[in-house]
Amino acid sequence: MEAEQPGAEIQRLQLCINDLVGILALPATWVRGEPPAIVESLLDSLMRMVHLDLVYLRLRDPVGDAPRELVRFDRWRQDAPRPQEVGQLLSPWLDADPQAWPARLAIGGTVGGADLAILPQRLGLHGEIGLLVAGAARAGFPRETERLLISVMANQATVGLQGARHLSEQKRVAEELDRRVARRTAELAAANAELRRQMAERRQAEEALAANERNLDQIINSIPGLVWSTRTDGTAEFFNQRYLDYVGRLSGAMQGWGWAAAVHPNDLPGLIDAWRSIRAQGRSGEAEARLRRFDGAYRRFLLRVNPLHDEEGAVVRWFGINTDIEDWKEAQDELRDTQAELARVTRVMTMGQLTASIAHEINQPLSGIMTNASTCLRMLGADPPNVAGALETARRTIRDGKRASDVIARLRDLFGKRGTAAEAVDLNRATEEVIALTSTELQRCGVSLRMELADDLPPVTGDRVQLQQVILNLVLNAAEAMRDVDERQRELRIATGRLEAGGVCLAVTDSGVGFDPAAVETLFNPFYTTKSDGMGIGLSVSRSIVQNHQGRLWAEPNEGAGATFRLSLPCRDGSPGGMAAAAGQAGHP
Amino acid sequence: MQDRAFVAVVDDDESVREALPDLVREFGYEAGAFASAEEFLASGCLAQTRCLLLDIAMLGMSGLDLQRELARRGQAVPIVFITAHGDESVRVRLREGGAVECLLKPFSDTALLEALDAAVGSGARASALRPKMGGT
Repeated sequence: MEAEQPGAEIQRLQLCINDLVGILALPATWVRGEPPAIVESLLDSLMRMVHLDLVYLRLRDPVGDAPRELVRFDRWRQDAPRPQEVGQLLSPWLDADPQAWPARLAIGGTVGGADLAILPQRLGLHGEIGLLVAGAARAGFPRETERLLISVMANQATVGLQGARHLSEQKRVAEELDRRVARRTAELAAANAELRRQMAERRQAEEALAANERNLDQIINSIPGLVWSTRTDGTAEFFNQRYLDYVGRLSGAMQGWGWAAAVHPNDLPGLIDAWRSIRAQGRSGEAEARLRRFDGAYRRFLLRVNPLHDEEGAVVRWFGINTDIEDWKEAQDELRDTQAELARVTRVMTMGQLTASIAHEINQPLSGIMTNASTCLRMLGADPPNVAGALETARRTIRDGKRASDVIARLRDLFGKRGTAAEAVDLNRATEEVIALTSTELQRCGVSLRMELADDLPPVTGDRVQLQQVILNLVLNAAEAMRDVDERQRELRIATGRLEAGGVCLAVTDSGVGFDPAAVETLFNPFYTTKSDGMGIGLSVSRSIVQNHQGRLWAEPNEGAGATFRLSLPCRDGSPGGMAAAAGQAGHP
Repeated sequence: MQDRAFVAVVDDDESVREALPDLVREFGYEAGAFASAEEFLASGCLAQTRCLLLDIAMLGMSGLDLQRELARRGQAVPIVFITAHGDESVRVRLREGGAVECLLKPFSDTALLEALDAAVGSGARASALRPKMGGT
């Protein structure tokens, strides 16, 4: 250091103090300043205060938007080396301790360059912020005051850049936070929209379901029937509005077994039994019962029920529908009455046909009575009286009287006016009684009769007289069909038997003129007849009688001459009564 | 009893065969019963028969068949037909056909007696002794 004039020395120190004050004031201008402005003002202040030829600043890490390298030259305003070129030149010492730097360097070689004395200064205690390099061509650089100013300036820059770095970091964090908040907000908004969409969808589905339910309700309540459902134990849980309106009761009163109160007391025990039986079988079934209307009137209903199964096939619920069959039943009753009357009329007409035979049947025992009574009188009037002979003839008289009354009773049974009955009928006996009335007629017509009645024939259910009318009709038709047959035996065969499918059958076979197989069904049409004196309603009435007994009546041509008429009827034990499981229908061959 | 005339009853109804011969015997005739025309023809009683009480409607050979058969054989046995089917017109027709009488069931004992007497002649029965009869 060279000696100077005391006045100049004082002046220099004063300038230095001024510069120091200026430097110390710098950070106040940097508060919240941008890093590029900080480094620019740092370099400009140094150049101005210290009269440098070169200042180079290199930041170790980025600070905000500030450039990593910055350079100021005093001399070479034109063609000044770029910061990277200066950095390249300094690169061998950039990481080195400032003590190890050379005192002088030739910089700016491209344009003739200059040999500068350089002063490296770390920014931060260990250079963690970066490096400041000051250079001047003049001799004596750096002087003590210059060294002080540069050192203080570097410290101030370090503080400012650290503050700026913090600020920048805070800003970055705040921005990241904003970004995250924005992203999260967007996610939440999207989730919210999705939730809204789902809710809208669900509401739509619920509305559709509700509409569907309303529609089902309308259907269930509009169905022309009383709809209901029960649990597996037979207790009720649902009734449609039509049911409740019909019985005039609230749903609550019908729950459980409450519905039973609307069933006719006479029908209830049978209905309960049938209901129990249907549930025990677990299959659909049906029943008939009278149900009381709100006004107290009873109407007949057909009750039908189906089980609902789960995946394993177990019954979980029963669904039923009751159909009003009162009007249908009445019509059926009227039809049955009409048919019964028609049957009676045809019976009476048949009686006309049988008049001769009937007269014979009655005259025969009457004749016996008169003969025996006359003999008796004569035996008693003899001398001596023949008492033993008289006793015998008196007994015969009584026997013949009984025989006559039997004939009358049979006639009354067969031709008298009476209601229809449903009783157990032995088809064999019914047949024998008919033959008892017609054997004379058959004999008169020269017909030989063969009876093949099965043993142990089970009874059928029905009206004995009506069934006998059918048999009588078939027998007389057979005799009629053989009336004009002379070239072969007139043979009538009546057979009864069991059917494999259940039920019994009766066949009447003749050796008559037969019929045209193509016209077999016309035989059963009303007013179809081959007789000149018949009305032709016999077979038609017979078929309706058999059908009313759940049976069938049909005709077949024989292998040889003549025809066979067959009727089949369900057995009494297997016959469907008022209530039965749906599968329990009697079959026919 | 050899002087009593033999009356044959031919009827397929058993009760008639039971009752009628007794009454005929009460009249003083001898009587026998046959269940069919064939049985009667086979019985060998034809020669001694003075009168036939003959049912018309029988299975197999009918009463009319028997009448024709007897005519064919030249056997002039008086015949009284019995029927439960007939009416007056039948009766007239049968009488015109050579029958002594046709009795419509039921008939009275006197009607029968008159028919038999007409067929056989009352002297042919042991009834002159009978002071009183069932009818007049």
